[in-house]
Amino acid sequence: MRVQAERPVVLRGVRWICPASGRRGDGDIFIVDGRIAESRPGDARVVDARGLTLLPHFVEVAAHLGDPGYLWREDLVSGSAAGAMGGFGLVVATPDTDPVIDRGALLGDLQARASGVTGAEVRFAGALTVGLKGEELAEIGSLVDAGAVALSDGGQAIADGLVLRRALDYSRPFGLPVLLRPGEPLLEADGVVHEGAVALEVGLRGIPAAAEEIGVGRAIALARQTGARVHLNAISTAQSVAQVRDARQQGVRVTASAPARALLLTDADVDHSDYDTSLRLVPPLRPELDRLALVDAVRRGDICLTSAHLPLSRVEKEHEFERAMPGAAGLETAFAAALTALDGDIEAVGRALAVGPAELLGRRPRLEAGAVANLVLVDSEATIQAAQPAASRGVNEPLAGRSLRGRVVGTMVAGRWVYSSIGA
Amino acid sequence: MGSTEPKRTRRKDMLGLRGVSRAEITQILDTAARIRAVNRRRVKKVPTLRGRTVVSAFFENSTRTRMSFDLAAKRLSADVLGFSASSSSTRKGETLMDTARNIDAWRPDALIIRHPCAGAPHMLAKAFPWSVINAGDGIHEHPTQALLDMLTMRDHLGNLEGRRVAIVGDILHSRVARSNIFGLRTMGAQVVVAGPGTMCPKQLESLGVEVRHRIDEVVEDADVIMMLRIQRERLGRAMMTGVAEYAGLYGLDIDRLRRAHPEVLVMHPGPINRGVEMTPDVADGDRSVVLEQVSNGLAVRMALLYLLLGEEGGDARAS
Repeated sequence: MRVQAERPVVLRGVRWICPASGRRGDGDIFIVDGRIAESRPGDARVVDARGLTLLPHFVEVAAHLGDPGYLWREDLVSGSAAGAMGGFGLVVATPDTDPVIDRGALLGDLQARASGVTGAEVRFAGALTVGLKGEELAEIGSLVDAGAVALSDGGQAIADGLVLRRALDYSRPFGLPVLLRPGEPLLEADGVVHEGAVALEVGLRGIPAAAEEIGVGRAIALARQTGARVHLNAISTAQSVAQVRDARQQGVRVTASAPARALLLTDADVDHSDYDTSLRLVPPLRPELDRLALVDAVRRGDICLTSAHLPLSRVEKEHEFERAMPGAAGLETAFAAALTALDGDIEAVGRALAVGPAELLGRRPRLEAGAVANLVLVDSEATIQAAQPAASRGVNEPLAGRSLRGRVVGTMVAGRWVYSSIGA
Repeated sequence: MGSTEPKRTRRKDMLGLRGVSRAEITQILDTAARIRAVNRRRVKKVPTLRGRTVVSAFFENSTRTRMSFDLAAKRLSADVLGFSASSSSTRKGETLMDTARNIDAWRPDALIIRHPCAGAPHMLAKAFPWSVINAGDGIHEHPTQALLDMLTMRDHLGNLEGRRVAIVGDILHSRVARSNIFGLRTMGAQVVVAGPGTMCPKQLESLGVEVRHRIDEVVEDADVIMMLRIQRERLGRAMMTGVAEYAGLYGLDIDRLRRAHPEVLVMHPGPINRGVEMTPDVADGDRSVVLEQVSNGLAVRMALLYLLLGEEGGDARAS
């Protein structure tokens, strides 16, 4: 972790919350040499942070950055900037690029280039299988050596139970979290929206909730069998939430995240938007009862949140609904989406966006003296007008036009502002 | 949409019957009933749409619906341009939006579109100023089919209010069924659907219909029995067990027809799979109104073009 010599900073009069320890307070926070300091430094840059809230910065464990192969969608620089704007100090890129990040040399090369970004820190997840085809194991050891922070199926759910089991067995000794999309590809068939009443009205083929739930069940059973650490990215139904909660109670090492936008949107929004393709998503938007279950699960700390950032260009979205590529941009609005859905419960949002994902990657985000200053400063009372992304190249922000609560004021990585809207 | 003059249809497009009011459906049916007279004259032409341009873009095979629309526009004296997917640049990978932009360069007044994807007509209607008429979008809607079906029913039954219409077949994947369900319910009719569990799931009740799984359960109370086409080649995996079993459980034959109301109407959107949905004697029998459906189809399409584009109907581009 880079700990640089920057001018000391004093955040004056800030409300700070450390979700991991449950501690909170009001007052001045000092940042010296990249860490939170005990005492007030001389010659500091003073930031008037009254009315603002300080949290550990958010962490994204699975964002689609288009390098290599899809640079028109996003590149390391724009992705890093988008993350920083959204309050993320660390963004982990998924391996579903072209070519797929399934070999150490490629990952190492990307990591070297990523060290030059000036926004959020960018790291990489390595593919579990070659080409993400779900057949042969990728060179997991070399990916780890090259700096992978996680291993992933890249959104291509591994339907073959034997291959998935072997992938979990093989990767377990390396100690990295395994990110899996819970799904059952054959059952998903050609569905594009949640299979339910809305699908019947709008005449689109449905993806049954059971497909996700079978995938969740498979992942949990194999995590239990192998002792592997599995993270479900992402879940969307009440039943999935229940399965994850029960498994964790039994001591299975499974965690899960939901897309932040799924806390606000439902399948009815596909109908109301008249087939707007920015709502063409995987997992699909679900009905209200599932949305409420996700909100509740976040509140209780049972699941964390992901921006599920998948920026796409007009070329990929200006199509008939079922032919549009699924995915939505989300780094820049995830925080506001979550805070709005949780009625301003900033501590729960902090747990879900900052602590959970960070701990998944083996980090210990703490707001305490001596800790590295990986922080985000937010205005939790501000109202923003969500718009198409400013930093990300994507044109597919489904929340554009909505009034949301919560604005990211500044993002700091190791004591250095990587995004700031207050001239800090 | 939204006019202070109740007489004129201000709508720009006809994308589906969901959300279309009873008053408007009635207006379309009444207009179609009047316009039918043109089709009985020796000179079957009126100058209403002279100088207007109607483009028809069919991205799915269809000879009859397409001919029906083309003829409807021609009888109203419009200039008609036909466009079919097989001969077009979609083969070269041109997107629908780009194809539409090219068509827009000719400044048409209306586009009639049939497309395999639900929402395709809606995408164009949002982006372009010309009228869009949905001739079938995936499994979603086929509004002119339902309108002609309702006109046919109304001709025989008088009023649709309180009538009981049975629709039999692959309801889940039928745009004909969906549009009929929306339209008939708006007009106050009761709809009962029947089909195999894979094609007619209980969940369909959320559309406000009764769901049954045998044709025998629906023939007796029905005023109308509408049979849908089973297209084996378009079904997904493991959807049905075989034509013989299907005909046995869901086919309409003379014995079943005898148990129905003596004045029952037998309908089918065509083309009929003789021996599957219906036996030949039912298809050709005196309860079948299939050929009236076809001629009403022409009238309904003329009526719609008239209401959307004609002088009386208002100019969709005016603004």
